[in-house]
Amino acid sequence: MPHQCTNCDRTFPDGSKEMLSGCPDCGGNKFQFAPAGAVSERSAGTGSNSRDTDSNGREQRSIMADENDDSDGTVSRAAETVRDWVSSSDPSTDSTSSSSSDSRSKPTADSNSPAGNRPWPDADDRASSSHSSTDDDRRTGGSADDSTTFEEWPETARPPADRSEPDPPRTAGRSTASETTASSSEEHSSATRRSVTIDDDEDTAQADARSAVVSPDDLPASAPEPSERTESDGEDGADGTPDSEDARPPAPDTEPTTETVPPDHGRVVSEPSGDRPSLDELRDELNDQFESIKIVSPGQYELNLMELYDREEYIVSLQEDGRYVIDVPDSWRDSDD
Amino acid sequence: MGLFTELKDSISRATDRLFSEQEPKRIGIYGPPNAGKTTLANRIARDWTGDAVGAESHIPHETRRARRKEDVEIERNGKTVTIDIVDTPGVTTKVDYEEFTDEMDKDDAVRRSREATEGVAEAMHWLREDVDGVIYVLDSAEDPITQVNTMLIGIIESRDLPVLIFANKIDLDESSVKRIEDAFPQHKTVPLSAKEGENMDEVYDNIAEYFG
Repeated sequence: MPHQCTNCDRTFPDGSKEMLSGCPDCGGNKFQFAPAGAVSERSAGTGSNSRDTDSNGREQRSIMADENDDSDGTVSRAAETVRDWVSSSDPSTDSTSSSSSDSRSKPTADSNSPAGNRPWPDADDRASSSHSSTDDDRRTGGSADDSTTFEEWPETARPPADRSEPDPPRTAGRSTASETTASSSEEHSSATRRSVTIDDDEDTAQADARSAVVSPDDLPASAPEPSERTESDGEDGADGTPDSEDARPPAPDTEPTTETVPPDHGRVVSEPSGDRPSLDELRDELNDQFESIKIVSPGQYELNLMELYDREEYIVSLQEDGRYVIDVPDSWRDSDD
Repeated sequence: MGLFTELKDSISRATDRLFSEQEPKRIGIYGPPNAGKTTLANRIARDWTGDAVGAESHIPHETRRARRKEDVEIERNGKTVTIDIVDTPGVTTKVDYEEFTDEMDKDDAVRRSREATEGVAEAMHWLREDVDGVIYVLDSAEDPITQVNTMLIGIIESRDLPVLIFANKIDLDESSVKRIEDAFPQHKTVPLSAKEGENMDEVYDNIAEYFG
């Protein structure tokens, strides 16, 4: 019974959906993950208000029937609870984010953390990553409405224009900050979509900067029209500058680039390799910003369904080197048909 | 049948949609990978339009983009129900190319895996904004109580979308419809085999009733 209501301590079997409508006993909607070993001791001890829920369908049915009576509240609570459940069913999350469970879930959390089947990685990954000092702040960047979050972003996560400013705009808040990151990536996707006009006006610095960001293996396999120019033009500067993190487009409103639209197969630049210094960091960083999909390794992904469901923008292309191309729903829907 | 008649037809169709309940509801076919969503979509589409929707495969994640079949008219008891069917990629929390390496080489498996992941993202977006009802397809030979199923059905409930649960693959020996009914007692469960076409009458009755 790995899940437990934080309010009344009622426990639920793994996979139970009773929690989705709030705790049937007390109506609470916060649950924590309690690893099997810890819980069996605990529930043996408490006993008092933990109805026997060993995942037996009949019991669940009667509970569901009860809940249907006050469907009003349960429906609205359901979404919230699902969300809570997503984050709290992660054993390792609890060890850091839910203070009440600290002592109990820590031992197992540590041993569990590398294992695969978690809904979403949270604190543990980041705590162990190199930039752990700011991870508390940045973790909230994806979903919480903490408006001061973004001043904590590392330099490289900002558009160049903002970088060396001593005091980045504090009032920007969530929407602006996410717009910035979104729009720079939107460039990529609009580039892939149009792939028609070629902007000859730009100087080589711009070209280099952009070609380092959007390299040919960056773009979705379904990129509409592969452009042959990529190999000759785009890569001149890209080869030497693998630290693409620093090479974001100069400003979000720059003319979308099209010359870097790659062929949809055939790799031109070097394969992602371990000698890229910032690869892991980049991955972590992007995971922080777009928590909906985690790239475990090329071809292995973990998805946070609630995040995916909640998000306005969405990732249309995943890159093996940890990069994303994101888009907003409106544009892909058009191109879909 | 001149231009005029055609025009009149299309105008009246347009007004029908504007002023009556004739507007086809968009029904999303959701479920975990390999539950038989595309097989079901194809079955429905073939039965009522003659066309198929997409390729089927025993390898999971064959459907990696949502596919739509519009204006599927289903006749029940003299009444016609028109729906748009959206066949969505299977939803999962983990995609691993190694699942496919028996069937294809590594590069293809990695690509399939990536596309499948993108497909899940797309499916979740459809769920958020673009469907009016959900057919949730489950493989009745598998345990229905999974994180994905629980979460998706929770989301669907929280959106108040009408939902039918289809217990597919009843032709398999290990199939247990009751297990699904017990898992989701709050929803109507319809047993069927999309592949064999078993119990499709009840399927269409329920589609007409729930989404008509």
